[in-house]
Amino acid sequence: MLRRFLQRPEGVAGLVLLAALVLAALAAPLLFPGDPKAITGAPMIPPFSDAAFPLGTDRLGRDLLAGLFHGARTSLLVGGAAALVAITGGMLVGTAAGFAGGLIDEALMRVVDAFQIVPGFLLALAFVSVTGPTLTAVVIAIALAAWTAPARLARAEVLRLRRAEFVAAARTMGEHPWRIAFRDILPLALPPVLALAAVIVANAVLTESALSFLGLGDPNAVTWGGMIAEGRNQIRSAAYLSVIPGLALVTTVISIYLCADALAEAMSGSRR
Amino acid sequence: MPRVLRLLRRRLLASIPVLLIVVLGTFLLLNAAGGDAVDAYLSSIGGGSAELAQELRQRYGIEGGAVARFLIYASGLLQADLGWSVALNRPVLTAIAERLPNTLWLMGAATALSFTLGSALGVIAGRRPGGLCDRLLSGVSLALYSVPGFWLGLVLSILFAVRLRWFPVSGVETIASGKEGLARALDIAWHLTLPVTALGVIYLALFLRVMRAGMAEAWRQDWALGARARGLSEWRITLNHVARNALLPVVTMLGYQIAGMVGGSVVIESVFGIPGFGRLAQEAVSARDAPLLMGVILVSALVVIVTNLAVDLLYGVLDPRVEA
Amino acid sequence: MSQFTFGRRQVLGLWAALMASAAMPGIAWAAQGGRLLVASDSEPRSLNPAIVASNGVFFIASKVIEPLAEAAYDGLRPLLATGWEGSEDGLSVTFHLREGVSFHDGKPLTSADVAFSAMKVWRALQNIGREVLANLQDVETPDPLTAVFRFSKPMPLQLIENALPVISAVLPRHVYEVEDIAGVTALVGTGPFTFAEHRPGEYYLLKRNPSYWDAGKPLLDEIIYRVLPDRAAAASSLEAGEVQLACFSAVPLTDLARIAKVPGLEVVTKGYEALTYQLVVEINHRNEHLAKLPVRQAIAHAIDKEFVTRTIFQGYATAATGPVPATATQFYSPDVETYAFDPEAANRLLDEAGYARGADGTRFTLRLLPAPYFTETVQFGDYLRQALAAVGIDARIVANDSAAHQKAVYTDHDFDLAVAPPVFRGDPAISTTILVRSGISAGVGFSNQGGFVDEGLDQIIDEALVTLDPAARVALYNQFQRRVTEELPLINVADWTFTSVAATSLTNIANNPRWAVSGWADTELDG
Repeated sequence: MLRRFLQRPEGVAGLVLLAALVLAALAAPLLFPGDPKAITGAPMIPPFSDAAFPLGTDRLGRDLLAGLFHGARTSLLVGGAAALVAITGGMLVGTAAGFAGGLIDEALMRVVDAFQIVPGFLLALAFVSVTGPTLTAVVIAIALAAWTAPARLARAEVLRLRRAEFVAAARTMGEHPWRIAFRDILPLALPPVLALAAVIVANAVLTESALSFLGLGDPNAVTWGGMIAEGRNQIRSAAYLSVIPGLALVTTVISIYLCADALAEAMSGSRR
Repeated sequence: MPRVLRLLRRRLLASIPVLLIVVLGTFLLLNAAGGDAVDAYLSSIGGGSAELAQELRQRYGIEGGAVARFLIYASGLLQADLGWSVALNRPVLTAIAERLPNTLWLMGAATALSFTLGSALGVIAGRRPGGLCDRLLSGVSLALYSVPGFWLGLVLSILFAVRLRWFPVSGVETIASGKEGLARALDIAWHLTLPVTALGVIYLALFLRVMRAGMAEAWRQDWALGARARGLSEWRITLNHVARNALLPVVTMLGYQIAGMVGGSVVIESVFGIPGFGRLAQEAVSARDAPLLMGVILVSALVVIVTNLAVDLLYGVLDPRVEA
Repeated sequence: MSQFTFGRRQVLGLWAALMASAAMPGIAWAAQGGRLLVASDSEPRSLNPAIVASNGVFFIASKVIEPLAEAAYDGLRPLLATGWEGSEDGLSVTFHLREGVSFHDGKPLTSADVAFSAMKVWRALQNIGREVLANLQDVETPDPLTAVFRFSKPMPLQLIENALPVISAVLPRHVYEVEDIAGVTALVGTGPFTFAEHRPGEYYLLKRNPSYWDAGKPLLDEIIYRVLPDRAAAASSLEAGEVQLACFSAVPLTDLARIAKVPGLEVVTKGYEALTYQLVVEINHRNEHLAKLPVRQAIAHAIDKEFVTRTIFQGYATAATGPVPATATQFYSPDVETYAFDPEAANRLLDEAGYARGADGTRFTLRLLPAPYFTETVQFGDYLRQALAAVGIDARIVANDSAAHQKAVYTDHDFDLAVAPPVFRGDPAISTTILVRSGISAGVGFSNQGGFVDEGLDQIIDEALVTLDPAARVALYNQFQRRVTEELPLINVADWTFTSVAATSLTNIANNPRWAVSGWADTELDG
């Protein structure tokens, strides 16, 4: 499967880009130690005009390049954490519903329905407004809008596997049903759900930027969305302030999608 | 169409418990917020004395306990009364009726554009998977799909509204123009062009990708291969058989995306100054206006339910195997 | 204005309008007086200026409902009152009303309307009037054009005069005399414009009042306020010619240099002198570190006011010296304690106060709550965090929206430092002394909720409130400024007034110190 993945040029391109981004995120504190929001230079230095600030500074005099590197850190962190929370939460609920059946299943699935018919972004917007914009709140808000798909998938897989022979065998051997659910069935339901992960990560990065755009980003952390939102007031006189982080954002999302596409094709190929 | 109406009624009845969860969740969320409607109001007018705050709390009916307030709201809801908006000083239903049409126009036009154009381009791309046309379309659609909607909106607005002045910067129609009939419709269309494009293009990319995948899949099926072998005209096979089958996942996707589109319109409305649903929701949250926020979320949930029903019916038309 | 100029201007305006409509098809002015399109960033819940005395309301409603007098660069300009005098004992003020003024529904303005407005609305319901007119006992109406205000305690005429433009919007009694005055949504007054229409989320439409008491005015036919909550949208709309005026710094400060060069637009900085906003660091004195004066002094020394005015405000602000802004020439005193930008002095003060830096360079940690109302308050929060880090104080920013900020700071006192933008409303007694006076109950916004208590300061404040002689009153407020800067109950950083961006065709603008919230009767659009 890995070979199939690597045979696709798009997949390779995506992987390389993503690796570079992860590397930038990891290297940020080494390359740019200290608070990336520190005021280090004159305000509004345009890019490529000052060797000390290759990408220029923002309206308070903060280094744009440092912000870009640290922003990669938070953006990927928010995306990854949101996906992790959404998938773990979703799978737990889905597995529980699928395995328990009956009333519990019915009740849990109605909750899933409720979350699914409420526009996710509205929910995230309301949630962050209410709790105050911290990174944790943003992660939870995004997860709240994304956990239903993994929940449904996990439930469907569990229902399929429940009838499988080894589950019946475990049952006759007197194992506790919840133990079966979470030790034997959950791991098998994992792969299709993981294929969702890339989409959720990409969506999370986009949602974070949209929330920041509406003024709901964590003021203590640097995020690309926050940089775009701050640069937006100067979009006509200093477009670079929002264009540069915007490009970083688009590159990230594209690389994730490229990887996801290649992965999906590779998986469907290996299944055939 | 009594069958459709019966179906609609059954679906709506089935969704009552779901809607109840939605309403309760919204209420609890806003109840946990720091500050209430009076705090929001006082900060907007530059403060006021403690007695004024107390009087306003009484006036707005928000000094009671949370449970009591929710029960009052819920009993009103049973009589189809969405309550009174403290922030806007008028019934929630009126406020929603003012804003919903704008959002529906925006979403409807964006859906129509992205669905038709997206699936058409998907047909073209999917005819020769891996060909030049496919690679080009897939690449462009991927890039568009990765662009944040607000960003696209900003760029379109600066380029076409501020620089070239082809389209207006904001609003849904020329203010107090006195236009009527066709002139007014054209005016609204002119105003909505940029926002619809900004919102629609992202979904266009999505539908293109789904359609393309469906086409590629369908072409591999035996009957498609057979039809090709029988020497039927390429375009006839494409449109009559392959595309029709490939459309099913696109239609499913349409249902999935409606909720997402309501969310996406929030930022687009903000960029283009459209007084729509998204902006109303934002106003409701910042004003701590629980009845208004619950009304907005409830109505958008209803929009999602109804659209999904329509999608199911459409699915039945397209795929004779499915009984709606 | 002479009859001749008026006629000539009209002709010129007509010509210009013709030229404009020929040059720009599709945009035609309604008539020769013209339609002024104004950007408005909010839709106030209630538009009644007699009940809600706030700039957001005045911006629209002051064109419809007028006060007794309006602010001018040389004192007050009489509007509905032509004159007034106070008694020797300070217990009464007599207002003489203008003759021949009628409300938009045709009924004449009488002293009964003023008495009703004062007793039932300003004193009873209005956010500012309740404080200023707390001692108002009765309003007598000896004849239809005379209203005598009677107070239970001596009331300085100077304070009344300074408050008039803000608190004295006169309502017609016959329309508003109902049980629920605040519930009346109709907007009826004597102003140069009548309220025609509100399309929620879209616009407000005001129309020319043809029977305005100042004959020949107003000069505009219509004013339309376009609701544009998005700041970037206001700038774009101006450039695209969709609005001709944006007030209250609706155009981001960083965009002004560029937009000033756009042909047909100009940046106007005048016309807000009596609406000075103050950038203030609020301090919670319940915090054990902040209760110590040297710590507060250190914080004052850590702030580079010059950087704040130059970078955050792009030069559209001045460094503050104390609690009264320099624009308030009547009261301002430069004779105060000042704190130069001096991080070394700040570090020394903190060292001496016993706060050694820890291993990570931090002495102690504080919560910093920047008010969300303005871009500048939020940005100053970002700056303050950095400035305090330089002297070893770790200030973590806690972001809230308006409602949560109001509750956290003014009700729950759940903050250490906060950034606030209080307004100086022409007299320190109206909304400035409340920022430092002790004994204010929790929940009052823009007031001393930091738990600061200084009896000496309270005495000065209370004495000034009943001092009738204007010079003596000013002297007390000079003492007040000195004391505040010595004790630092809060730190005044900068004072700023807003900017407008207007089409160059718009004339007679910014001609009084509260222009944006005045009546605009003489404002003219030359096509």
